[in-house]
Amino acid sequence: MKPLDPRTKLLIGMVIITAVFIAGHPVSLFCQLGIILSAVFIFKMSVPFFRSLKLIIPMVGLVFLISWISFDRYSALLLCVRLFNLLASSFLVFQFIRPEDLAAGLRKMKIPFGFVFMLTTAVRFVPLMQNKIRSIREAQMSRGIDLRLKLKNVKNFMAMLGPLLLQSFVLADELAVAMEVRGYGRKNRSFRKDYRLGFSDYIIMVAAVGALVIFIRWETGW
Amino acid sequence: MATCIKVKDVRYHYPGGQEALRGINFTVSEGEYLLICGANGSGKSTIGYLFNGLIPHFFSGIFSGTVEIFGMDTRKKGISELIPRVGLVLQNADAQLFNSCVEDELAFGLESLGLSGMQIEKKIHETADLLHIDHLLKRPPDRLSGGEKRMAGIASILCMSPAILILDEPYANLDGSGISRVRECLRKIHRAGLTVVVIEQRVNSFLEDVSRCLVVDRGKILFDGIASHAGNILVSQGLIPRYPERNKIKSFTTALPGAAGKTLLSVRNLSYRIDGKKILNDVSFDIFRGQAVALLGKNGSGKTTLIKHLNGLYRAKHGEIQFNGHSIAGKTPAQIATMIGLSFQNPNDQFFKSRVEDELRIGLQMVQKEPKEWLEKIGRLFQLQDLLGRSPFRLSEGEKKRVAISSILAMQPEMIVLDEPSAGQDGRSKQMLAIMLCKLIHEGFTTIFVTHDIEFARAVADRWIVLDRGQIAGNGPPESFERIESLI
Repeated sequence: MKPLDPRTKLLIGMVIITAVFIAGHPVSLFCQLGIILSAVFIFKMSVPFFRSLKLIIPMVGLVFLISWISFDRYSALLLCVRLFNLLASSFLVFQFIRPEDLAAGLRKMKIPFGFVFMLTTAVRFVPLMQNKIRSIREAQMSRGIDLRLKLKNVKNFMAMLGPLLLQSFVLADELAVAMEVRGYGRKNRSFRKDYRLGFSDYIIMVAAVGALVIFIRWETGW
Repeated sequence: MATCIKVKDVRYHYPGGQEALRGINFTVSEGEYLLICGANGSGKSTIGYLFNGLIPHFFSGIFSGTVEIFGMDTRKKGISELIPRVGLVLQNADAQLFNSCVEDELAFGLESLGLSGMQIEKKIHETADLLHIDHLLKRPPDRLSGGEKRMAGIASILCMSPAILILDEPYANLDGSGISRVRECLRKIHRAGLTVVVIEQRVNSFLEDVSRCLVVDRGKILFDGIASHAGNILVSQGLIPRYPERNKIKSFTTALPGAAGKTLLSVRNLSYRIDGKKILNDVSFDIFRGQAVALLGKNGSGKTTLIKHLNGLYRAKHGEIQFNGHSIAGKTPAQIATMIGLSFQNPNDQFFKSRVEDELRIGLQMVQKEPKEWLEKIGRLFQLQDLLGRSPFRLSEGEKKRVAISSILAMQPEMIVLDEPSAGQDGRSKQMLAIMLCKLIHEGFTTIFVTHDIEFARAVADRWIVLDRGQIAGNGPPESFERIESLI
C-alpha cells in the first residue's frame, strides 16, 4: 500500500490536535486520555513517551496548582487532563511525522523553502543542543561550580549561558557554511519523492475532517 | 594530467582579523592526492574555502589574487556554480549533518542539484555501496559514532559527484578504527579517479597515501613537493611532535602533594547502564599516588563514562569508588573538585569570563581558596604569564587547552583527570603539553588521561588501562601491550 502523503499526515495531525483542543466535556476528555495512552502502548512508544513526561508532568502540575487556587479542584483536574492530552497528542503526532515529511508537505503547500528548512533544522538540532548543554554543565560542575537548581546558584548559571550562546553562534556559522556547500542557495530544487495525493489520501482526509465535524457537533451541541 | 586547481598570488584578510593568507601560489593536477598541512591557525582551512568560492562569495574580507577551478575564475562564478565540480567536507560533522537521517543527508545535496527522484535514489545507493554505509542510511546523525558521522559527511558530498573532493581535518575526534576506516575510504575514492585534497594536522598516516604535500605556516607555503621529502620540515614546524624522555624533564616546584606509592583511588566492581545498555561492566582497578595512567579504548568503550564517575557527575549505582580510603558516594561534583579535578576535551565548554586570569580564579572562588603562590606556579608551568589579561576566546587551541587544565589545577586537587588532552592540538602543542604534564607527574601529581593518541600516551603515562566494551581489557606498563592498535 502506498504510504500516506505528508499533507495527509499533516491534516490528520491538525485534526487530532484540534479535537483535543476543543474538547471540554469530561467524557470527551477522559475518552481522549484513554485513546492517547492506548496509542502509546499500541505503537510501542512507551519509552520515549515516559521520557517526555519529565517535561510534561511539572508543567501540568503547575497548572493544576494555579487553577486549584483560582477555581476549584474539579476544574483544575479537567484543565490538567486537557493540557496533558494536548501535549501528549502533539508528542504522538510528531513521532509519526518525520521532519523531512513535514518539510515536504509544507513545500508542496507552497510554503517558502527557507522557512521550511529553518523549521526542520530546528527539530534536528534539539538533541545536539541537549548534548551541548549537558557537556557544558558537566565541564562547569567539574571545576566546582554548583549548578543545582537552587536560588543561591542563580548567578552561577552565567557559566552555562556564556559558553552555550557562544557555541550556538559558532554552530550557526558552521551550519551556514555546510548549507552553502550542499547547494542551499541553488535555484530549482527538486523533490526526492514524487508526492502526489492518492485516492486513499483523499478518503482519509475526508474521513478525518468528517470525524472532526461530528465531534465538534457533539461537543458543542451545534 | 590537466590542471584542475590554479591558485595565484592569493592574499586574504578575514574581516577584522589578521591576514590569513599571504601570497600563496600552487596548482593541482587532476587525479592528484594532495595533503595540505600546517599548525593550528596556519591558514590551511582558509585555503579549503578558496576552492568552491566560499571565499570571496560567502566570507567577506579582503581577497586578492586568482583561484581557477577547471579554468573558471571563482571570483566570477558563484558558489552554486562551483558545487558540482568541488565538494567540501567540513571538520565539524555535527554542522555538516543537518537532516534527520543519513539517507536524507545524501538526498539534500542531490535535490539542490535538481536531479529527479529516480536519479537521487540511484546516487544514494551507489554512494552507500561504495562507502559501505548501507546500514547507516536510516539512522539519525545523533545516533552515529564519530567515524560513522565522518563517513556520512563524506557520502553527503561524494554523492553530488564532484571532480575535486576537499576534506577539512577528516581525522578530527576519531579513534584508531575510525581513522583506518576514513583512510581506506579516501584511498578508494582517489583510486576511483577523483582529485582528493586533505587538510590535516595529523599528518603521519597520510604521508604514505598522498602523492604530494603542502606545508603551510602563517599564511605562506613553506614546502610543496613529494610527501616523502617533507619529513624534516614537518618536524621543524612541529607538525610531528618529538616527545622528550620523561626522566630528562625537570620539575617546577618542590611542593609534593603527598607520599608516593600509596593507593589514592580505588574503583571496585563499577557497573553502569544507559537505557538498559551496559556501558561499564564490573570495572575494578587501583591508582597509586604519583602514577600517570593513560585510559585507552575505542570510542564507545566506556572511557568517558568511567571518568565521569570519578568526580561524581555519574553516581556509582553498582560498585564503589574510594579516594584516599574514603567513599566519594554522596559528595557533589563541586566537593570532589578539590580532590579530583576533571578537565573535558573541549575547552570552550568552560570559558565564560573575559580574561584568562578570571577563568583561573573561578574555581577558587567556589571553593573559597586563594593560594596566590600556587596560581603563579601554575602560570609559570603552563606558560600563561603573557596570557593572563587576554580573552580566553581569542587564544589558539593549544593555549585554550593549557588554560582549561590550569583552571582545574588551580583548585589544588590531588589528582587530575583529563579527557583527550591532545585532541585538536597540533604537534607543537602536544609536545608542549606532554612536557608540562610530565613536570606535574614528577612532582607527585596523580594523573589519569583518556586518549586515542598512542604516542602521547607513551610519552606521558607509566601505566595504561585499556577498556573494551565496558570491561578492562588490559592494565599494566605500556611495554606490556603488544597489539594495542586493535584495542583502540
